[in-house]
Amino acid sequence: MNQADLSKLVSALRIAVKPKPRRFSCPEGPAGRLEKLRATVTALVKYERIELNHPRAEEAQGYAERLISDAIRNGDCHKHTMEMADYWLNEKQLVHKLFKVLAPRYQNYNSSFTRLVLGPKTYPGYYVGTAILELKGNPFPALQPETHNYHYWLHNVLLEEAKKEFRSARQDRNAGTTESVTAES
Amino acid sequence: MLRRAVLQTFRQGLAQSFFKRNAVSLSETTVTHQPIETSDEADEKSVSKQKPGDESGNTVVVAPPEFRFMYPEFLPDPAMERRNRLKEKLERIDMLQRRSVVEIPEFYTGSVMAVTVADANSPNKFARFVGICIQRGGSGLRAWFILRNVVDKQGVEILYEMYCPLIQKIEVLRLERRLDESLLYLRDALPEYSTFPLDMEPERRLNNSVVPINPLKVKLRPRPWLERWERQNLQGVEDLNLPQRFYDKAEKVAKPWEKYDLMLQYRKTIPAEEQEKIFADVHSQLQQQEFKRKIRRRRGIDNEQ
Repeated sequence: MNQADLSKLVSALRIAVKPKPRRFSCPEGPAGRLEKLRATVTALVKYERIELNHPRAEEAQGYAERLISDAIRNGDCHKHTMEMADYWLNEKQLVHKLFKVLAPRYQNYNSSFTRLVLGPKTYPGYYVGTAILELKGNPFPALQPETHNYHYWLHNVLLEEAKKEFRSARQDRNAGTTESVTAES
Repeated sequence: MLRRAVLQTFRQGLAQSFFKRNAVSLSETTVTHQPIETSDEADEKSVSKQKPGDESGNTVVVAPPEFRFMYPEFLPDPAMERRNRLKEKLERIDMLQRRSVVEIPEFYTGSVMAVTVADANSPNKFARFVGICIQRGGSGLRAWFILRNVVDKQGVEILYEMYCPLIQKIEVLRLERRLDESLLYLRDALPEYSTFPLDMEPERRLNNSVVPINPLKVKLRPRPWLERWERQNLQGVEDLNLPQRFYDKAEKVAKPWEKYDLMLQYRKTIPAEEQEKIFADVHSQLQQQEFKRKIRRRRGIDNEQ
């Protein structure tokens, strides 16, 4: 049983975080894993929508969310946050983008800041398949069509009530006819 | 990696020595008290803050931020596989129940404490031990701390579980913090740094609002040591004066990228929103208990007078 680390305050992430991190095979070993993820996070912040393999996308999603949540919580005058941003973003203009563009954009979000959409699994190829990782609020057209038919729209509510009324009226009619049949017999 | 020597920190009731060391003459170490702000987040001492209300106009009571340092065992084990909200809630209720019976004061690693335990085998049925807290850990009802002292030139460490029903009294004789969160290096330090008189009186603090950080740098005995202290980035030890090859190997073996691993940090911590919820839950009861104790203490002083 361990005690929680108290030295840093972190915001809760709104994505599903797995209990164990994934390892990536690289010649430098565990050091190289962070180098690879650094490149992915930099690309995500730069292009706002990238297509890559699913395992790397999932790991990078966690790191990107952590970076943005720290930027929102602490701002750019916080020494530790600035060090993290400096490490994770290889291009220094993206540090400005993080604090000046992304942090205000996601200030009042109640959901996650990134979206991971599974991409095509082309055969033959990488078994786990591709994924598209994007920052929400990006200027590109949406990847998935907006779902229609929300149950709380007014006409849907009225239709539901009308259906219920019709069904109950039919039940009453059927009950009425069966009673009259039993009464006759 | 060096195979750790089998150190059995004995649980309460078995105060046996486990390695023989020759003590150098006990000299009084000068302790400089520098009341440094422990956290740059809040200056108030256990005053509940009222957050500005939500749309409904209800005020939300929030515990002060330093609660996470004062009561770290209320936070659950961060390992995701072992989290169970219901179990944690029930455990917190039990912890508060125990705290209403026995006062478990605020303490940190580096504080000198005295613990009285019910012991059926001792002549007066209690066993009292005084020592410096070198480590604390565990979460919930299993929270523990280790006290170290040197008795008759013998180093003794006892692990106490804070919520054990055998514990009768926990007193903090000197409340202070050190430069490190874990003082296990005192095992390899000169014995004067771990020696405290068993009849030590509780010390009164001049400034109640801030816990002083003792910037003492401890001198270690010559090698061999129990752990490779040069690899641990210790602030509270004097310069180790080792040959350069030790530092070179330490650099080779070090993992400097872990400092930047944001997900590793996340998996080791409880998020701030959850912490706030837990302490908001718990702090009103803790405040009530403190208040009742203060009244009892004052009544006791008045009766004596």
